[in-house]
Amino acid sequence: MKSLIHYPVKVFATGFVVLTLLSIPLFWFRFWCQTSLVVRMPSEARDVSITPSGLVPPELENDPNVVNRSRVSARMIVGPFFLGIADYFLARFPGGRHSNIYYYDKKDEDWMYFDEETGQIVCRYTGVQRMPDKTILKKKVQLYVGPEGISESPGKNLGRFTSPVVSISLWLTLYDKKLRRFFYFDLDERTVVKGPQLPKDDTHKPIDIGILRKGYEFESLNWSPPQVRASEEDIKERRSSSYELPPIVRRYYRYPSGQYLLVLDESGRIDLLDRETLEFAGTAGWLPAPKTFFPSKEVVTPKDLLSYDVLPLALDTDQKYRGMFAVSVSREGTAMALAVFDEKGVQIKTEHTKLRKYRGRSADVDSSKAVFFEAPWAPVSTIGIYLAENLHPLLLSLVSYFTADSFEAAAGHRALFILPNSFVAMKGRDVSENTAERIITALLLMLPSIILAILLAWRVNIDATTVGLSENARLCWMIGTIAFGLTAYITYRLTRPKITLVTCQNCGNLRRPDMNRCHRCGSKWHIPELTPPAWRVLGRSEQVYEGLPAEEAEAE
Amino acid sequence: MFTLIKKEIEDHIAYFIGAAVLSAILIALLISAMYQPEPRDMPVFIGLSIPVIVILIVGFPAMGSTQMYTDRTRKISTLLSTLPVSRRQILCARIITGILAILTLLLPLTITMVILFPLFTPPIQMYLGLVWEIFAAAFLMAFACYCLGLLTGWNSSKIIPTLGGLVLTSILLPLIFVKGFGLHTVVILLLFIIASLMRTWHTFMSTSL
Repeated sequence: MKSLIHYPVKVFATGFVVLTLLSIPLFWFRFWCQTSLVVRMPSEARDVSITPSGLVPPELENDPNVVNRSRVSARMIVGPFFLGIADYFLARFPGGRHSNIYYYDKKDEDWMYFDEETGQIVCRYTGVQRMPDKTILKKKVQLYVGPEGISESPGKNLGRFTSPVVSISLWLTLYDKKLRRFFYFDLDERTVVKGPQLPKDDTHKPIDIGILRKGYEFESLNWSPPQVRASEEDIKERRSSSYELPPIVRRYYRYPSGQYLLVLDESGRIDLLDRETLEFAGTAGWLPAPKTFFPSKEVVTPKDLLSYDVLPLALDTDQKYRGMFAVSVSREGTAMALAVFDEKGVQIKTEHTKLRKYRGRSADVDSSKAVFFEAPWAPVSTIGIYLAENLHPLLLSLVSYFTADSFEAAAGHRALFILPNSFVAMKGRDVSENTAERIITALLLMLPSIILAILLAWRVNIDATTVGLSENARLCWMIGTIAFGLTAYITYRLTRPKITLVTCQNCGNLRRPDMNRCHRCGSKWHIPELTPPAWRVLGRSEQVYEGLPAEEAEAE
Repeated sequence: MFTLIKKEIEDHIAYFIGAAVLSAILIALLISAMYQPEPRDMPVFIGLSIPVIVILIVGFPAMGSTQMYTDRTRKISTLLSTLPVSRRQILCARIITGILAILTLLLPLTITMVILFPLFTPPIQMYLGLVWEIFAAAFLMAFACYCLGLLTGWNSSKIIPTLGGLVLTSILLPLIFVKGFGLHTVVILLLFIIASLMRTWHTFMSTSL
């Protein structure tokens, strides 16, 4: 009875060990192939630019002296993807997504962090005080910031923040998810400005304020204003050289989003927040969706993107918000989209990374497709990834298909068991086909895996029959092998009964010696009947009685 | 039970001495790195710690493997079974000895880090829980490697106990690089340890004396 209970436990335990030890080498193989693909991606397929940028007033953009028009450009800097260990430390360093420290200056020992115990934000900085004799006195100031006020010492009267989303720039703005309102802090005046509380039915879910950026290691976004030739007067006065092209207008760096602050919503929408009233003032735009290998949804959330960056624009001439540029890199890190939104939040221009091919006539290939087939040796790496994915358990591939969107994009590159970046999962995100078509295509993509699983299940069945496993056990093994493929097969080989078989006298096949009946023909053991022999071995010569035998004599 | 553990420690004292020596070396490297004002010397410390880590990688599966292989070939558990000792107790004592060897290495190192961190980091909640998370992941990884040693050691041939544990450890160890020291690694390693211990348990208990 105990062995009956122990056997499944042994199988599951061995199965998990095998699954883990098989998944890690497969991960490294996929990682190596994927890295080689993105590293060899043609340079042209990494860049995207829009000229003119669309946000500069026409009178400046079309000025007759303009030599170069305004330009917004972005570049994918996709090298080797971050492994978990690097991500672990980066996320915990000051400014990282798992760190409560928003700012830290080691040299001056200035910092700003959220103290979870008090629920207050602690700011330490070097305060400058002008003395009556016009000398400047520098001293360290440590302030405690709560929803109810600012003080030099922590106290309950300051209130508590629960889960703040903080913007650190020239002004300190904060959104508290529990209090559902924005706050603005003036550290010099030591005042707190509260915004109106958002209604309970309000759909806004801010996740980032001010500088909206994720995974900046994977892309760069730049804007250059229209440039004019240097005037003779400037050259004469050596303010500018003859080969320099000074800008006709400059970006207003002090307040790059003018009178507003940009707020990124969980849905991917970017809202405008009035800096003065701390109220939403409209939509600034949204994160653009890159063109992926299989067409995926057009509305992307921050979780769906490996990287994004938003650049608001205000010019130093009027210091008003003019619009913004948003760039996003796809989950797989193979495509990028750049979009321009005007001050009303209308998308006026969009561009995607692509590769121009010349085969008789020129044609544009999306970078997400070009990366797999157009770079030198790319098809080899692509086939490598595809085969490695097909060695993965069939069941986990199916789970990857159905949970394709559930995982954070960067985490997908470190996946061991469920693969959100596999071809099957990419198909799961496809929106160009209906559900049935998608499932059929996904099954076609999994065809090598299915064939392998069936082949292994067939072999397991043959061996299990030979070994003498019961019909139920064989059925379980076949289902398990189809679901887990190579993992189940290795598990079976490690856990199969190790018994030396003997030949059955009835059917001639090999049978188990520990079972009562032959598992092939059902016959019992042929045990010869123990009949006593007719002969005897005696110690002396046999005497022959002359008379009747004793029994007969008694009868008479 | 204590007698069994004591006997196991005596039989594998070399591993305990090795763990203590390596721990001392790592502590010395850590203190030197902390007090070294020049960041350019950091690669030297990292370079020195690599051989130590390699020895550790080999060490823990080797200990598990030695324990099981010695038992298998010298029939130690068969002999002990003649005394009032169950096989369950023998295996438990063996596993506890393994855990003690790992703690001999990691605990002094972690205590040193806990003491040194506040001295060299600002008085704010910097790197919150970092030391304990790294300790947990390192402990579980070392224990998982030890469990692989236990798993491969129960074999009468010499090749599998010698190379099997080493090969499987070199496959498992990069899990830290793939997943980092966070919760994912802890969960995977915990499940892996439970699974490999169950397999070892089953093999050990069902083998005839």
